[in-house]
Amino acid sequence: MAKEVDIAVVGAGPAGLMAAIEGARAGAKVLVVDENSSPGGQLFKQIHKFFGSREHRAGIRGFSIGEELLDEAQKLGVEISLDTICWGIFPGPELALLRNDTDFTCRAERIIIATGASENALAFPGWTLPGVMGAGAAQTMINVHRVLPGQKVLMVGSGNVGLIVTYQLLQAGARVAMIVEAMLEIGGYGVHAGKIRRAGVPIRTRHTIISCQGENSVTSATIGRLDEKGQVISGSEETLDVDMVCLAVGLTPMAELLFTLKADFKYVPALGGQLPCHDEDMETSIEGIYVAGDVAGVEEASTAMEEGCLAGLACAESLGLLDSLQAGAEKQKVKKRLQALRSGPFGEHRQDAKEILTREGLIK
Amino acid sequence: MKKQAEVVIIGGGVVGCAVAYNLASMGCKDVVLLEKNYLSSGATGRCGAGIRQQWGTEMNCKLAKASMEMFENLEQILAYEGEIELKQGGYLILAYKEQEVKQFQKNIELQNSLGIESELLTPEEAKEIVPHLNTKGLLAASYCARDGHANPFEVTRAYAQAAQSLGVEINTFTECKDIIIEKGKITEVVTDKGSIKTKTVINAAGGYSDLIGDMVGLKLPVYSERHQIMVTEPVNSFQTPMVISFYYNFYCQQVPHGSFIMGQGDPNEPKGHNIGHSWQFLQELSKKINHVLPPLGQLRIVRQWSGLYNITPDAQPIICQAEEIPGFYMAIGFSGHGFMIAPMTGKVLAEMILGKNLSMPLDKLDLGRFDRGELIPEPSVV
Repeated sequence: MAKEVDIAVVGAGPAGLMAAIEGARAGAKVLVVDENSSPGGQLFKQIHKFFGSREHRAGIRGFSIGEELLDEAQKLGVEISLDTICWGIFPGPELALLRNDTDFTCRAERIIIATGASENALAFPGWTLPGVMGAGAAQTMINVHRVLPGQKVLMVGSGNVGLIVTYQLLQAGARVAMIVEAMLEIGGYGVHAGKIRRAGVPIRTRHTIISCQGENSVTSATIGRLDEKGQVISGSEETLDVDMVCLAVGLTPMAELLFTLKADFKYVPALGGQLPCHDEDMETSIEGIYVAGDVAGVEEASTAMEEGCLAGLACAESLGLLDSLQAGAEKQKVKKRLQALRSGPFGEHRQDAKEILTREGLIK
Repeated sequence: MKKQAEVVIIGGGVVGCAVAYNLASMGCKDVVLLEKNYLSSGATGRCGAGIRQQWGTEMNCKLAKASMEMFENLEQILAYEGEIELKQGGYLILAYKEQEVKQFQKNIELQNSLGIESELLTPEEAKEIVPHLNTKGLLAASYCARDGHANPFEVTRAYAQAAQSLGVEINTFTECKDIIIEKGKITEVVTDKGSIKTKTVINAAGGYSDLIGDMVGLKLPVYSERHQIMVTEPVNSFQTPMVISFYYNFYCQQVPHGSFIMGQGDPNEPKGHNIGHSWQFLQELSKKINHVLPPLGQLRIVRQWSGLYNITPDAQPIICQAEEIPGFYMAIGFSGHGFMIAPMTGKVLAEMILGKNLSMPLDKLDLGRFDRGELIPEPSVV
């Protein structure tokens, strides 16, 4: 079975769905594949309201955004193929796909890779004990599967993921003993940190996890204070009575497909590590292959959606479905919105990092 | 990098490194080896890694037998601290056509006369050696228990380290850009890191040997062709020999750590330097393997890659000095079986360059044979 589409999108998260919507709106035949059984990427576990300006869907909860996107995509005739793994992209370009043990291919004029990112792990004595998990995994368990994986939690990392998941664990009925943060300052937004502090959860900066203990699962965790060199100060160790340790220590873009395509990469630690270079239209160093969302630099759902929008518009334009005047104006609007999202004390460094990436991406 | 050298070798594959070691061990230590990438980055590190002695021409049988004897003792010869992972689990070559059986009988006769202990097996005997073999349609199999495979990265590294300890300079990530000839003689090799004055150059550039030939104005009768390989997840050891079939056109071995490595030839593959890969290859080969070695269909493929065969009109290498350009030697066109005969090739070529008595005459493998029409076609190539 071989399919043929105008635009194939890998990943049905916020970036991929937006890209598909923009492509389909312009008249392209679009296929979205996702290896998961349900679409939406991480959106359906986001039970909190997004904030920012109204055009960024502020005030709407993540899962509602997911529903809106899915609804829109379906109305526009986007085909979404779930449980479908894209295991390779071959000359053509042709996507090699696997669904229910059946392999098939799809030739696509344009490909948008929106595979997202995966959670980083942290290795310490006891890190393989049941009870140690990524914060994102804990969030999926409580918000999607409605299972509370532990009663007393130590959260490692105070970025937005660590802060939001802490709050949602509290809402789900767990007790969060503490958040430890190796850096000098809290990583996430003040508004999230404020809620946590008001709920009585201590946040210890310049602290980290040293080990966790337990026979069959976690029964306690030991933390310690770090000196200026990042070494644990001896005597500062403290053991907490917890049965769960959540790791919220960053994300790494899932760029394997682009590695195998030998796309140009650049190391940009501020955005998650090795990242595919791309131009302002989200096109990578390989003609016809675009990126959007966390795979092009770990940011947020709001930026992912805008990048998806941009990639979708750019693909439609390059396919001749939009005239360049119309597409140019639309893209300009998206770029402005992206710039707004990447401003202020939490966004500026991402804008700078993105510029390194796009500058490199422009050298073709 | 040295500014001048007695010999400059182009290519850091197993052949280049073996020649480098042999030159140095015979006293010629002023040798520089150039590799545009890293050692084994070309066909050597991408090959199927088999070592077989069951060939159809006397030359190949002798080269392979002598090379196998060297492989068996290579770690000692080269004082290598690692392991070359030699596994002598045999080669089982399947015959599905009467014509194949006849050819194998002829080959075995030749092999036995040269001291290679090969034999023709019935399908039942073959199944005893490979219990999971589907014998449907199988007429016979040629088998030599002393064949096997080794790790090409380790072998190349063993040669390279031994060469370096004798004084050879190895420059990786150094690309040969040009070879300067004045009055018919080589004077200099130009690289992207500077030039080296020399009178002797060895073309051991594998899949890219034609490009090196162009630099001295020689149109070498070789071309490159992509061959793809895939590897499975590792499982407990259950297949002893390398299984190959000319009829189905595949080979398949289980390496010591448990992975199965397999490849096939594609009659429709265009000539060229493409080393990309295709899903069609995975599908085609999976079907064949699933038919001939059914339990392997349960295994997951973890990776695929490809490399270049450097092919001559008779599928035999060219190992000689160019008549027109004194000092320009070549060991090229191995047509997919360079790794297994590299030890002997390296030795004889070094002897040739240093004007010593040759351990084995290789005059039939000269460049001139194609003009003279004296081709020596090898009947047994995948």
